[in-house]
Amino acid sequence: MSPRPPRDALVGYQGHYAGSVSRFAAYSIDLVVSTAVFVLVLAAISWGVRVVTGHDVHWNRSNVVVAVIFVLWQFLYFGYCWAVSGRTPGMALLGIRVVRADGTVLPPKQAVLRSLVFPLSFLLFGLGFIGILVQHEHRALHDLIAGSAVVYSWDARAAQLRFLARQSGLAEGGVSSPAVAKADPAG
Amino acid sequence: MNPRDRLRAVSRRVTDPAEVLAQEATERVVDLVVNALDVNELAARIDLNALLGRVDVDAIVKRVDLDALLDRVDLNALLARVDLKPLLDRVDVNDLVQQIDMDALIEKTDLGAVIASSSGGMAAEALDAVRSGAVGLDQFVDRWVQRLIRPKQPWPAAPPALLAARAEP
Repeated sequence: MSPRPPRDALVGYQGHYAGSVSRFAAYSIDLVVSTAVFVLVLAAISWGVRVVTGHDVHWNRSNVVVAVIFVLWQFLYFGYCWAVSGRTPGMALLGIRVVRADGTVLPPKQAVLRSLVFPLSFLLFGLGFIGILVQHEHRALHDLIAGSAVVYSWDARAAQLRFLARQSGLAEGGVSSPAVAKADPAG
Repeated sequence: MNPRDRLRAVSRRVTDPAEVLAQEATERVVDLVVNALDVNELAARIDLNALLGRVDVDAIVKRVDLDALLDRVDLNALLARVDLKPLLDRVDVNDLVQQIDMDALIEKTDLGAVIASSSGGMAAEALDAVRSGAVGLDQFVDRWVQRLIRPKQPWPAAPPALLAARAEP
C-alpha cells in the first residue's frame, strides 16, 4: 500500500492543515540548521578572540551561558522567521507555513508569542505535540495558545506542471521513463 | 433655307434655354434636398447587415488581387498608427486564459520542455518528491489516526479564510 496520494489530489492540498510528518521533518531540518549556524558563530567568535587576544576560548555544552545563549538563539531563529515570512527554512523546504487560526497572515506579535510558548509543547514528553495528530485542526499546544495553525503553502499546481512537462519532454525525446522501463522491460 | 432647318433652328432656340433652366433647377433642387437631409440619420436607418447580406463578398474578394494590394501596404506604418492600449483594454485576458487547457497545451507543445528546463530541473524534481512524499505520509498517518479515534464529524480541511479563498473562482 503506497502512502503517496495521486498527483492530482496533491494539487488540492494548498491551504490545507499540514500533517505531522511534514511538520516534524521541517522542525528537524530547522534544528539542524539553527544548531549548525550557532556552532559556526561560536567557532567564528573563538577564532576572532584568539586572533585579537591570543587566548583560546573553549565552549562547553554544560556551560550555562552557552545554554542560555543557545535557547535565546532558538527563540530568535523561530520567532524572527515566523514574524517575517511565516515560515522557517525547514518549513519553506517542506512547503508549509504558519498562519492565524482563521487562515489569515500571522501578525509579528503572534509569531513572537508562538516562539515563546513553543517550548511548552515539549513538556511532559512532548505531549503538547499530540494535538498535531488528534486535534481536528492539527494544532499543537503552542498553536492553540498562540492562535496559529500550520498549512501547506507549496504550489502543488506548479509541481504538477513540471511533472507534465517532464512527461512531455520524455515522450518527445523518445526516452522511456524509469517507471515505463520497469513496466515494460522488453521495450 | 430649308424649311426643315429653319424649324430645327427655332426648336433649338427654344430648347437650349429650357435645358439650361432645367439643369439649374435640378441642381438647386438637389442642393436643397441634400442640405435638408441628415446624412447621419439616414446612415443610421440603413440596415447594413441586410445590405451586406445581398452582396456576394466571395465574388468581390475573388476579383481582388490581395498580393498586389498587400505589396502596396506599409504594415509598419499601419501598425504604428494603431493604438493598441484601448484595443487590449477591451480584451478580457482572464477569460481568455481560463479557456486554455494548460495541461493539454503543455503535453502537445515544447512549452513543457521550456518549463522543465526553466524550473530548476533536478533540484525542483527532488523538492517536489520530498514534499509529495511528506504530504503522502501526512495523509497516511491522518487516515490511521481518524480510524482509531473515529471523530463524530469530518475534520475541516483548511482554515476558514483559506477555504473561502479556494472557493472563489
